[in-house]
Amino acid sequence: MTTDAHTADQPYLTAKGFCITSGLWLVVATFMGLLGATELIAPDLTENIGWLVFGRIRPIHVNLVLFGFVTPGLLGAAFYYFPRLLRTRIYSDKLGVVTVLLWNLTLVAAVVSLAAGHTQGREYAEMIWPIDMLVVAVFVLVFINLIMTVRQRREPVLYVSVWYVCAAVVLTGATFSLGNVIWQPTSGALVGIPDAILLWFYGHNVFGLLLTPLAAGVAYYVIPRACQSPLYSHTLSLLGFWSLIVVYTHIGTHHLLQVPVPTWLKVISIVDSVAMVIPVMAFLINIWYTARGRLGAIHADIGAKFVFTGTIMYFFVSIQGSMMALPQVQRVTHFNNWVVAHAHVGVLGFAGMIALGGLYYVLPRIAGKPLYSRFLADFQYWMVLIGVVGFTSVLTIAGLVQGHAWLNGETVYRVIPQIHVYYVYRAALGLMIFISAVLGLYNILRTLYFNPGEAR
Amino acid sequence: MYFPYFASYILIGFVLSLIVFLWALKNGQFREQQRARFLPLEDEPDRAPAPTTRISRLETWALGLLAVAGLLASAAILVYALING
Ligand code: HEM
Repeated sequence: MTTDAHTADQPYLTAKGFCITSGLWLVVATFMGLLGATELIAPDLTENIGWLVFGRIRPIHVNLVLFGFVTPGLLGAAFYYFPRLLRTRIYSDKLGVVTVLLWNLTLVAAVVSLAAGHTQGREYAEMIWPIDMLVVAVFVLVFINLIMTVRQRREPVLYVSVWYVCAAVVLTGATFSLGNVIWQPTSGALVGIPDAILLWFYGHNVFGLLLTPLAAGVAYYVIPRACQSPLYSHTLSLLGFWSLIVVYTHIGTHHLLQVPVPTWLKVISIVDSVAMVIPVMAFLINIWYTARGRLGAIHADIGAKFVFTGTIMYFFVSIQGSMMALPQVQRVTHFNNWVVAHAHVGVLGFAGMIALGGLYYVLPRIAGKPLYSRFLADFQYWMVLIGVVGFTSVLTIAGLVQGHAWLNGETVYRVIPQIHVYYVYRAALGLMIFISAVLGLYNILRTLYFNPGEAR
Repeated sequence: MYFPYFASYILIGFVLSLIVFLWALKNGQFREQQRARFLPLEDEPDRAPAPTTRISRLETWALGLLAVAGLLASAAILVYALING
């Protein structure tokens, strides 16, 4: 094991930029979530303040979580491990810094425009055309930097994390453009059922072809390193990668099982949702076998601890997801808080946890000093964990109450008071996550700057 | 008529994936699989982890219990659904 002259002493500016971006927008995103949760308890709270109504706060929260917190966090780690795995330097840190700046500009523009009421009104595709174009542009810039790094590599074999990240960036660039119908700037939509199909093809790909592969890439790097043991099987990891590409791309229509889309499409989406067990278990078996007997080492490294917990959440969210794609199950779970619970296990519990793990793993290595406060990071770990488990419990219960009420033909206004108490618990849990995000940002900034720790 | 557009997208995606797969095959990406397992480790090793303390052992137990509780809850829902479904 040697330090490679080509990878040593890199400034890691791009990785640093993405890590700070992620920590910063996590604060804003969780604040928006908390505000939205509070409005669900007290709908009159922001009455007559147009830019703060729930309908505007929700898309801001969702888009910031996806593109402000999770994606940059996972990319921050990727920009650290790409040069290491490929035994070269990152192609251009200048380009990387420009990308990070443009990324942040895009996010500011998204918040301002959505708050001002400029929306295309399609879930996960709310942002208006000029901002869509900025998103495509930043993905293209990230791709150029990564693929050129791959081209100048000195390691001939591409490790599985490299495959995952390259695929995530290319596929998201393509499906984002399609899903946002960028060739129709004014509406950003097709008409009728084809629009729903296209939107959910894209919508599901945000989780399946952006967050999932980026998170898998981080886990495949951090777990072997933290355990100091080789990956259980690289062949299995490649099998998981290719089966994910084949299976995940077909399942978007499971969001539309109760919509008059063609039946053959529904059947494909259901069959492949169940078949998702193949890439999911290929990934999990590989990671868990790599960590077998080395849980102590994982526990000792806060980054690896976040990542490993994320893999356990991945198990739960995926098994749950495969069940939710069955029409009999969805008769109860659709159109209520059950799905919101699932969404939080996936995006915060799985991808978010791994993003934080990647971040805490690479930060001390970029800074060349230990993490400013292990205690604060551990505190954030527990707050996020309690938050996600709590969200899952209360929102699942609320969802079951709602689901059975809809099935029995109950009216909405009689059900809302029944679930009010769960909304209160949910906001309280959200407050915990928000506070820990603020402390997390402080920890990130102190680790990178004004860090009194000894140089490593 | 939207199917031709969707079908062409699927076709383009399929062909591109196939090209990448064949490149990987020809380029020997599936060959040195044993060495590939060690790639993340070909760097300076991480510092030795701190020794476990009583509190961290307790924490590990708490996390383990949480995961088992999750599994039990999932199993209970499944059994309930099968019995009442
Ligand atoms: C095997 C893997 C998975 C399957 C089969 C699956 C399945 C599903 C299904 C069927 C729905 C629609 C529920 C409904 O509307 O009734 C759904 C929603 C959702 N899933 Fe998953 N899921 C999986 C993994 C994940 C992961 C890993 C994430 C996050 C990274 C995720 C995030 C979401 C989100 C955010 C929604 C809510 C979409 C909305 O706004 O309606 N899922 N999932």
